[in-house]
Amino acid sequence: MTGIIAIAAAIAVFTGIGAGVGISLATGKAVEGIARQPEAAGQIRNVMLLGAVLAEATAIYGLVVALVLVFLKMG
Amino acid sequence: MHEEVSMSDRLVEAMEPHNVFTIKLPGLEIPVSDVVVVMWVIMAVLIFFSIFLTRKLSAVPNKKQNVAEIIVELINNIAKDAIGEHHWKAFAPYLGTIFLFLIFANTVSIFNVIPGEGFKFRPPTRNINVTACMAIMSICVVIYAGIRYKKMSGWLKSFVEPIPMMLPFKILDYGIKPLSLALRLFGNILGAFIVMELIYMAMPPVIPAALSIYFDLFDGILQAYVFMFLTSLYIAEVLE
Repeated sequence: MTGIIAIAAAIAVFTGIGAGVGISLATGKAVEGIARQPEAAGQIRNVMLLGAVLAEATAIYGLVVALVLVFLKMG
Repeated sequence: MHEEVSMSDRLVEAMEPHNVFTIKLPGLEIPVSDVVVVMWVIMAVLIFFSIFLTRKLSAVPNKKQNVAEIIVELINNIAKDAIGEHHWKAFAPYLGTIFLFLIFANTVSIFNVIPGEGFKFRPPTRNINVTACMAIMSICVVIYAGIRYKKMSGWLKSFVEPIPMMLPFKILDYGIKPLSLALRLFGNILGAFIVMELIYMAMPPVIPAALSIYFDLFDGILQAYVFMFLTSLYIAEVLE
């Protein structure tokens, strides 16, 4: 039972892949935008931060689920 | 194998809130955990500095007043950018308070200067009850902003604004926003805290100092900023 829970926690942490791809896309596009229009850097940074934070939320949910599995279910 | 068990026990022990002392009232005992005590210490520090820095204000600022002005200006600018010229003044104090409180709460583990066992400063935001409480506070401010500036009827109308079919999603919004605020802060801080605890156990000298800059300082301040930024965005959204 413990082994299956450990594998379940490991699968839950795979949500990090999506967040990694999402944040890297957002940051890459933001860099392109700032390179094209340096005067809009402030606004682009705010929007990029919003996108990165929303993308990161999925990874955090996965992490929380994994922590719950490891620390509450495995005992 | 024995070593591994004791390591995970120490990790769980570090994550859970500990009882520091118990307030005894007739017929009622209130246990006070270290999470609460650390928050009290942070509040005391913040109150002390805000009184100390704003004493004897004058038109020509001295050194102390300059520091206070820089901090207030920074927070006012963030609030002005997010909420807009008209209503930012009402919400800047709240945003500044959670920002300053969360900066100290997230990075408090760097003030652990006394080695060995005993009382340790651990970030209170590693406990989900604290972050959930702050998220509920933020959503209450958002609802207050809607009712205060758009009147009750305007705020209720915003639930069916583009098309009435949006009603269930708009109601869900008020549950998802605080949930994601609370879980984001909790997950980030607890994750960084666990990594730092593991590093402290595995290789105590030198290396934690370098990694602490990222996991404690950078991550903590970034998450404090993100919490304030998202709260201000939600307020701006409801005020539109």
